[in-house]
Amino acid sequence: MLEKRLIGVITVKDGWAVQSIGYRRHRPLGRPEVIAENLDRWGVDEILLQCIDRDAQGGGPDLALLERLCRRGLSTPLVYAGGVRSVSDGVRAVQAGAERIGIDALLHDDPHLAAELAEPLGAQALIAVLPLSVHNGALAWLDHRSRLSTPLAPALLDVLASGAISEVLLVDWQHEGVHEGFDERLLALWPMPTQPLIAFGGLSEPSQLRGVLERPNVVAAAVGNFLNHREHAVQRLKQSLAGLPLRAATHAPLDPARAWS
Amino acid sequence: MSGARLTIGVVDYGAGNLASVARAITGLGHRCRVTRDTETLAAADAIVLPGVGAFPAAMASLHEHGLVDFLRQQARSGQPLIGICLGMQLLADMSLEHRLTAGLGLIPGRVRPLAGARWHIGWNTIEIDPEDALLSPSDGQSLYFNHAYAFDTPPPYCIGVSRLADAFTVAVRRGKVVGLQFHPEKSQLAGRLLLKNVIEGLCRA
Repeated sequence: MLEKRLIGVITVKDGWAVQSIGYRRHRPLGRPEVIAENLDRWGVDEILLQCIDRDAQGGGPDLALLERLCRRGLSTPLVYAGGVRSVSDGVRAVQAGAERIGIDALLHDDPHLAAELAEPLGAQALIAVLPLSVHNGALAWLDHRSRLSTPLAPALLDVLASGAISEVLLVDWQHEGVHEGFDERLLALWPMPTQPLIAFGGLSEPSQLRGVLERPNVVAAAVGNFLNHREHAVQRLKQSLAGLPLRAATHAPLDPARAWS
Repeated sequence: MSGARLTIGVVDYGAGNLASVARAITGLGHRCRVTRDTETLAAADAIVLPGVGAFPAAMASLHEHGLVDFLRQQARSGQPLIGICLGMQLLADMSLEHRLTAGLGLIPGRVRPLAGARWHIGWNTIEIDPEDALLSPSDGQSLYFNHAYAFDTPPPYCIGVSRLADAFTVAVRRGKVVGLQFHPEKSQLAGRLLLKNVIEGLCRA
């Protein structure tokens, strides 16, 4: 049986993993490599590495960080998001160590170019990252560079309907980092009922995660800050979600070879 | 050869995440050579053909680097060859991804879109032919998949399936040529154990 996924999110700004709150405030957590190793060891189903300053900087994906992570020998699938401006950026990010690519600003600038990434990488490797909020009862889509929100663009919906992008990471950006903050109206208002969705932003408690993961079109839930507070947080969370179609909690002992590398 | 350190050649043809595969192999205690140099690959105990992306681009890259005939020749000579994810699909006669494209033709069959789903992304259990000693220890394990196409092959070559709406092939074998649709290198402990069994089992046979 294909299982739903619990994704651990590492948010990176200026090269450091940060706790992100509402896309505005950021508190340093430490080295992204260390957090990735913890998530890997704790048996999270997928890791999302999102470098939130790369789109605005225009410097492309953080390939050096991807390569450093890859050298650590992570055995958990890695999704990379941040700074993908072109097909070649996406291909280079995969070659540097990502299994899948999240695209955000490119969907505002040129959604059809985003779809062209499917030619070399395949649609299964592409995730649309959409920071959303509810405004006057409708979904509003944030461009985090300008901080302006607009309705979902028809061109974006066309690209998603074409199947060029496999999953949508639906981000409740206003409640990111807010305990139990996730606004489930974002899922209810999403206009494409068969589109596989990943919910992210303010998901912290098992009861809330259970409600989200019980929705048929939600294939994964992504958790960021709240996984970093205690050892083996992934296993504890999965044990609290027993009965859902999630992979059983796993645990790998700390690899001594990695401990001081 | 039990306990002996093996040398594994990983084919570098510009398609996907070679470093993760290489790191998984060295993590098993074996040497790894990531290269497109045919002499180095031919000297290895086994060749691993990884792959992420689309079939036509990957085959074009293999042709560009002069690796198509080489891989066919090495497989027919009995050198163990392990295809991973797209690398498994490249073993087929042909693929319908984007357009009709000829594959390596090492295992009979064709690659076609998944039935009943657009994609197969995430962790799914595998059901293994109990007669296959390499993979049967992993029967019932959950492994990581990320693909949109499936390899249709006749029963003698299909040694493992997973299920969405219906069962579809996720592991193929013809002698010392093995294909794995999932990513053992990204399937944590279950993947590492499976990869160890496949590499060491093929090289020991």
